[in-house]
Amino acid sequence: MVEAAPAALSSSAPSASRRRYTTIALLIARIALGAIFVYAAYTKLHYAGAWHLHDYDFIFAFGITSYQMLSLQNALWLARVLPWLEVALGVLLIGGIALRWAGSAATALLLIFMTALARAWMLRLEITCGCFGNQSESPGRELLLDGVLLLLAVSVTAGAFLARCNSRMPNPTRHVTK
Amino acid sequence: MIRSWLKVASFSFAVALIASQLAGQAKPAPAAKSILTAAELTLKKSIGSPQAPITLEIFSDYQCPACQDMYLHTTLPLIDNYVNTGKVYLVHRDFPLDMHPYSHQAARWLNAVAAATTLFEAAEIALYSKQEQWGSTGNIEQTLAGALPAADMNKVRAIELAQRTQLDAAVESDVALGKSRNVNGTPTVFVIQRGHPMVPLPSGPVPYPLLKQYLDSLLQQR
Repeated sequence: MVEAAPAALSSSAPSASRRRYTTIALLIARIALGAIFVYAAYTKLHYAGAWHLHDYDFIFAFGITSYQMLSLQNALWLARVLPWLEVALGVLLIGGIALRWAGSAATALLLIFMTALARAWMLRLEITCGCFGNQSESPGRELLLDGVLLLLAVSVTAGAFLARCNSRMPNPTRHVTK
Repeated sequence: MIRSWLKVASFSFAVALIASQLAGQAKPAPAAKSILTAAELTLKKSIGSPQAPITLEIFSDYQCPACQDMYLHTTLPLIDNYVNTGKVYLVHRDFPLDMHPYSHQAARWLNAVAAATTLFEAAEIALYSKQEQWGSTGNIEQTLAGALPAADMNKVRAIELAQRTQLDAAVESDVALGKSRNVNGTPTVFVIQRGHPMVPLPSGPVPYPLLKQYLDSLLQQR
């Protein structure tokens, strides 16, 4: 234990800087991911040059029905809820609040989006993606983008869980100094 | 002197009369006489009252299966329940896609129907319900002949023959309008209300029950 101390001390400098870089990278990732979620919600609520807070759900539901996965009423319900869920997740991610839960929810949401897109692609359905407003219509491109976002979401979630674990683990340097 | 002036005047009058007669003979046959502009054709292809609170503009391609689905399952009930009751004004816009070999011809024929008759709706029903048949053979004229009275079909044929350029120009005018509004697929529906910005619905067939709920909510908000 005493012999291990110098090695631990010598490796602490690079590991601290690596940890700092990782922290900064995860900060950028979660802010970017949060901003993209907020933007995705914005494109569903504001289009054709105006806010559509009274009828955004109908317009978005037209896109959801093109996936042929949900009944009309469920599509309408999802269309009503999803933009606000995206806003909430975006704000939590940007603010670093409840990061483990927000990251997990974002990951799950992106997985659902990707499954729906992949299914539509495999069935050769002519869908309106609806991912970023009503004009985004290329499932292949959106699938690729969602893949990148999924990587970010997984990184942010893993980072948040690891940070939680690290904060609960006893600090090894304390043993050394003792 | 006066006599010679009278001779010159009567000769000039006779020349002018003959020239006007010749010019009259050069005019096209009565059936093809009226040259409609693209705007006039659009009016003839529109259904309902222009005073209706909501206007729906539909960009469609007669050979596109999604447009067929939209027309048979959404547009027809929409005409019955909203257009005929004065709630919606329906404007047809041509947007033939290059991927369909006969859609340009079909659009021209339907414009000829609109120019020559009042049977545009019947012709649309005929083309959409028999899309698979003429879509494989290109025999649009035969499909229309089966749906329209012979006298009207003769007028349509005459217009299609005499005013092909104008009819094609009307189709291209719709296409240009669509492109200016970023239409890149069919069917694309635009919802227009007075005092509100125009709203494009996502491209693709629009389910009637959802459109009904949407229109009802718009009408309630007024």
